[in-house]
Amino acid sequence: MVSRLERLLNLTAALLTATRPLSRGELHERVPGYPPDDAKGSFRRAFERDKEALRDMGIPVVVEEIAGVDPPVDGYRIPRDQYALRDPGLEPDELAAIHLAAAAVQLEGLRGTEALWKLGGAPAVTADDQTLAAIPTIPALAPLFAAVGERRPVTFGYRGQVRTVDPHRLSFARGHWYLDGYDHDRQALRQFRLDRLEGELDVGPPASFERPLPGEGGAPRPWEMGEEAPVEARVHVDADLAGWAVDHLGPEALAATHGDGSVEVTLRVTNREAFRSFVIGFLDHAEILAPEELREDLVGWLTALAG
Amino acid sequence: MARPAADARLRRLLALVPWVVARDGPTLEEVCARFGLGSDELVADLDLVFLCGVHPFTPDSLIEVVIADGRVWIRYADYLERPLRLTPEEGLALVAAGAAALAVPGADPQGPLATGLAKLAAVLGVEPGDAVDVELGPAPEGVVEALRGAVAARRQIEIDYYAYGRDERSRRVVDPHTVFAAEGQWYLQAYCHLAENDRRFRIDRIRGLEVLDRPVARVPAESTAPATSVFEPRPGDPRVVLDLEAGARWVAEQYPLEALEELGGGRFRVTLAVSERAWLERLLLRLGPAVTAARGADGVTEGAAARVLARYRRRLASAGT
Repeated sequence: MVSRLERLLNLTAALLTATRPLSRGELHERVPGYPPDDAKGSFRRAFERDKEALRDMGIPVVVEEIAGVDPPVDGYRIPRDQYALRDPGLEPDELAAIHLAAAAVQLEGLRGTEALWKLGGAPAVTADDQTLAAIPTIPALAPLFAAVGERRPVTFGYRGQVRTVDPHRLSFARGHWYLDGYDHDRQALRQFRLDRLEGELDVGPPASFERPLPGEGGAPRPWEMGEEAPVEARVHVDADLAGWAVDHLGPEALAATHGDGSVEVTLRVTNREAFRSFVIGFLDHAEILAPEELREDLVGWLTALAG
Repeated sequence: MARPAADARLRRLLALVPWVVARDGPTLEEVCARFGLGSDELVADLDLVFLCGVHPFTPDSLIEVVIADGRVWIRYADYLERPLRLTPEEGLALVAAGAAALAVPGADPQGPLATGLAKLAAVLGVEPGDAVDVELGPAPEGVVEALRGAVAARRQIEIDYYAYGRDERSRRVVDPHTVFAAEGQWYLQAYCHLAENDRRFRIDRIRGLEVLDRPVARVPAESTAPATSVFEPRPGDPRVVLDLEAGARWVAEQYPLEALEELGGGRFRVTLAVSERAWLERLLLRLGPAVTAARGADGVTEGAAARVLARYRRRLASAGT
């Protein structure tokens, strides 16, 4: 009795060593353990199940028409160059560091164990088993990562519209995943929040575009995620929250420091509503100094609420 | 179930066989440790590899497995000399975990993790540090490192902390238990001697930090592993019921709700647990006219709006004189 594991391993070996596509009939002869190839179709079903199992684990089983046969017959093989992982040439300390990182960072629903096996397994390292960071994921993330690597355009729904984008980069910031890329319809670089993707993700052909060099800065802030005429806002923040504001906005936002420990920060605003929300977060510990337009907007908003 | 087990074992074998093939007789012990299996499992898997090969399954077309003196050799498996390529999920798992670990304050940007990730990225066709970028959260310089050091050394610390929900600053002695990043923020889980209870502190709101020359007084009862969601309402928290316009749907996406009721035309009613007044003030001021009715929040909006306005009026008054 041949076990299923043995059959799968022999099937993999047969497909990997094939110098030409092998028909189902040839595979039935060469791989022990299949049921008879009879009219009930039990061999065919078992073979289809095995083929899907191999594909599920990422083995590239390709289907090609066998040459010189009439009527045409499908043949199967695993191209070795598509099967094999190129050796990244990791030093032992590099593999150990990657292993530690995979142990410390919990990526919801993604497991690094099998990937680490492929790189040579877990070297003897002392990991304190404490999770250092938990990062949520969404189903589109892995296909988008592949599309970035293979430079394939992607198409998806976003805010009720269909968008086609050359995906350049994925980033995780402030608790959300974003995609940066070139939007074909807008003909401009755009950023998309991935938890707002709608519908199916369609992936185009590989090597379709050149990736630009990475730009400066990470994901834009909410008050930068708009298409309003940009304005530079100046905000005074009291000493109690000054340190937090500078850490949060980055040192480049710091415009002045006062003797009492309070600071003035500047922000480039293209979304006034998001800017108002940000300033409200400080309650009465901050004040918009300029421009007058934004100051009046907030005063008007609050006056209506103060009753 | 036999099926998933066979798939899982095959995945492991397709990684294990190339590793052994490339070496001159590693010990069984090392193979077990690297690939996370017991020696019985390993021997069972190797017995099976021994039966495998290619047509016509004559001895010279079978994989040869030799186990002797606690070591193992695998030969005639040159078609399995390389491991299977990484799936997109696997590549992403390693690259994202690595990018996150490099984003931890104090990580060495030129260390083995960075160089290892660069090599891995090259194999995956992406530029290192380019395809995936991870920001774990803002933190004052040196604070995450100091807190992790105090956790490891089991030392008490004194922090100057801004409590956002109550809008007040205080100094408190805490026993640090865990430091972790979730939802775009760094957190410290600790026993707070001021509150006399376990508390979760946002690290970006810690303004001063002193590691004390005292061991922690309390050890956590259970490990406080981070969750991807960090807000846990308490049963005694007051409840607020808000009727909201359709445009305020983000409230339902962003906050854990006790209840959500559709009111028609896109309008909806939410029930929120509110433990801190300042938190509710911010929410109500942000929502503004999108709130058409509020129960359990009498005078909160008006009071908060008037307080912030007073600040703007002071300056207007002083500018006028």
